[in-house]
Amino acid sequence: MDKKYIEKMLSKMDEDLSKKGMSRREAMKLAGLSGAGIFMGAATSASAEEEKIVKSNAKGKIVIVGGGLAGMSTAARLTLNLDNPDITVIEPEKLAVSYQPGQTLVGAGIWDQDDIAYNRDDFVPDGVKVIKEKAILFNPQENKLTTDKGTVVSYDYLIVATGLQLDFERIKGLEEAGRAYSTGDNSKLLKALGDDICSVYTAEGATKTWEIMQKHIASAKSGKKTKFVFTHPSTPIKCGGAPKKIMYLANARLKEEGARENAELTFYPNGGAMFGVPEYHDAILEQFKREDFKWHYRHNLIEVDKENKIAVFDSKWQEKGPWDPVMKDFEVIPKHEKIRVPYDFLHITPAQLAPREIGESDLGSAKGWVPVNKETLQHIRYENVFSLGDVAQVPMGKTGGSVRKQYKVLVDNLIALMNGKTLEAKYAGYTVCPLITDIGTVMLAEFDWTVSPTPSFPLDPTVERWVFWLMKVYALKPMTMYGMLSGKA
Amino acid sequence: MKKIVLSMLLASIGLIASESTVPYKSGLLLPPQADKIYAKECAHCHGKDGKQTSSTGLTNVSYAVIAGMDTAELAKTLKEYRGGIKSKDYGPLNKYGYGAVMISATKDLSWDEIDAVAKYINGLK
Repeated sequence: MDKKYIEKMLSKMDEDLSKKGMSRREAMKLAGLSGAGIFMGAATSASAEEEKIVKSNAKGKIVIVGGGLAGMSTAARLTLNLDNPDITVIEPEKLAVSYQPGQTLVGAGIWDQDDIAYNRDDFVPDGVKVIKEKAILFNPQENKLTTDKGTVVSYDYLIVATGLQLDFERIKGLEEAGRAYSTGDNSKLLKALGDDICSVYTAEGATKTWEIMQKHIASAKSGKKTKFVFTHPSTPIKCGGAPKKIMYLANARLKEEGARENAELTFYPNGGAMFGVPEYHDAILEQFKREDFKWHYRHNLIEVDKENKIAVFDSKWQEKGPWDPVMKDFEVIPKHEKIRVPYDFLHITPAQLAPREIGESDLGSAKGWVPVNKETLQHIRYENVFSLGDVAQVPMGKTGGSVRKQYKVLVDNLIALMNGKTLEAKYAGYTVCPLITDIGTVMLAEFDWTVSPTPSFPLDPTVERWVFWLMKVYALKPMTMYGMLSGKA
Repeated sequence: MKKIVLSMLLASIGLIASESTVPYKSGLLLPPQADKIYAKECAHCHGKDGKQTSSTGLTNVSYAVIAGMDTAELAKTLKEYRGGIKSKDYGPLNKYGYGAVMISATKDLSWDEIDAVAKYINGLK
């Protein structure tokens, strides 16, 4: 199955490349990728291991809560690195390993829902047990947890990789939408959003986004002035680029249809910048100006009036107050007010939070996320508990690219702990955002906790490139699905 | 030998399922269980039968019987208590003077769970 997929993917890519008069080898060279290694090395199971794995004979029962990309990749790598692995994954959702980075591409009609749906049961490493239930009560003092079916599971080592929840219900007017996970049945959510509001943050919602987008592009094409509004919430989110990617893609589709002049695209982020890294902020701002986008900083979506098609934002600013004789400066008075914005098409990036069963358990923290040492990924209170992925309280780390670095660190450290050694592997905060700026171009924003670009390729990282589009659309998925999920890439 | 290893493996999984202790917690995207939500959030003041009309805490308060109330109206009232916005500036109204205590009882419930509880209370006769 792997090989067939890769062949299909490569022939599709060759087709695209030949339109531009280029061979695959040349394209890869241009992308700074060593041959097709990034595709094939990770994808064929027979490929020689570059890293020599010395299997550890450490023992202990390892339980992983959550069988998404983070949980399953960790299970696979532990299986590779332990002589006698005893691993149990607790995951109720059948499609938990689905390829979330593809959701923006689905939202713009470039991929189909089928391109990103992957079945959990196809990615369970040999020997790993799966409990298809939901862990809801945690008792880390006694190393036990309980599922919704009443199953009590005990463990020696626990890895929390539940992912996060999308909090649509905090938006007034969308309470009935409830909270949602990215995958699974989200019919209730889609019904509550209606026919003019969408979000690529769920797999089903991505497909619906494309339907809604087409409807409004058609309306712009017919000559009607059409307002496209895009939001970015006040909480940490997974894939900080997605709120903008879907905007760029809507823009590209509008241009394709010759309908751009009737459309107004406006971005309302809660924050005061386009990106946390100054170099990327500057680059994105230039792109926004070039594409004639509008933007208003410090606007947080708090309410929607679906009937009258009005989005209500909490707008924040500061004003100079009276002179403070003690501080010898003027006071700064924070102000805010409700701003009502009419829309035709509204794309919501919802607030995101840790699942309640985690956030309110002893494993959680006041912020909800699982508090871990950000370098070793070990829990700050329970030494036999680790966490990674979206639910871990790690700065800037909610992407698949972060998980790709985290799961190796976690596995090294867990095995070190099992062997009674010190935890030496360290996560440096690497994350990556292949920011799609058009159909055919991507700016590969890579960075870490130094908040400066950390490019993998010897190319200016603030430039939008077609080769990175090729990588995003063709190479990253096989690397993730067959490389990471087998514990290798 | 194999058998012993296998049985040890099975034992180490620690599967102890029991019907009577199936836990439930609201706000976890589980199918709503109205009886458990009622017992945890409502019964203390309103009684198991929904007919309790007073409670003595710091002060003595009294209120109406809720058993048999209209499902739709009850659900609407509960949703108003719960409110949609958490920011204090745009918070829900303090309805009927019981705002704080009713928010604490409803804030973690999803719309589905509120609908289920309303139906359950309507059925208390």
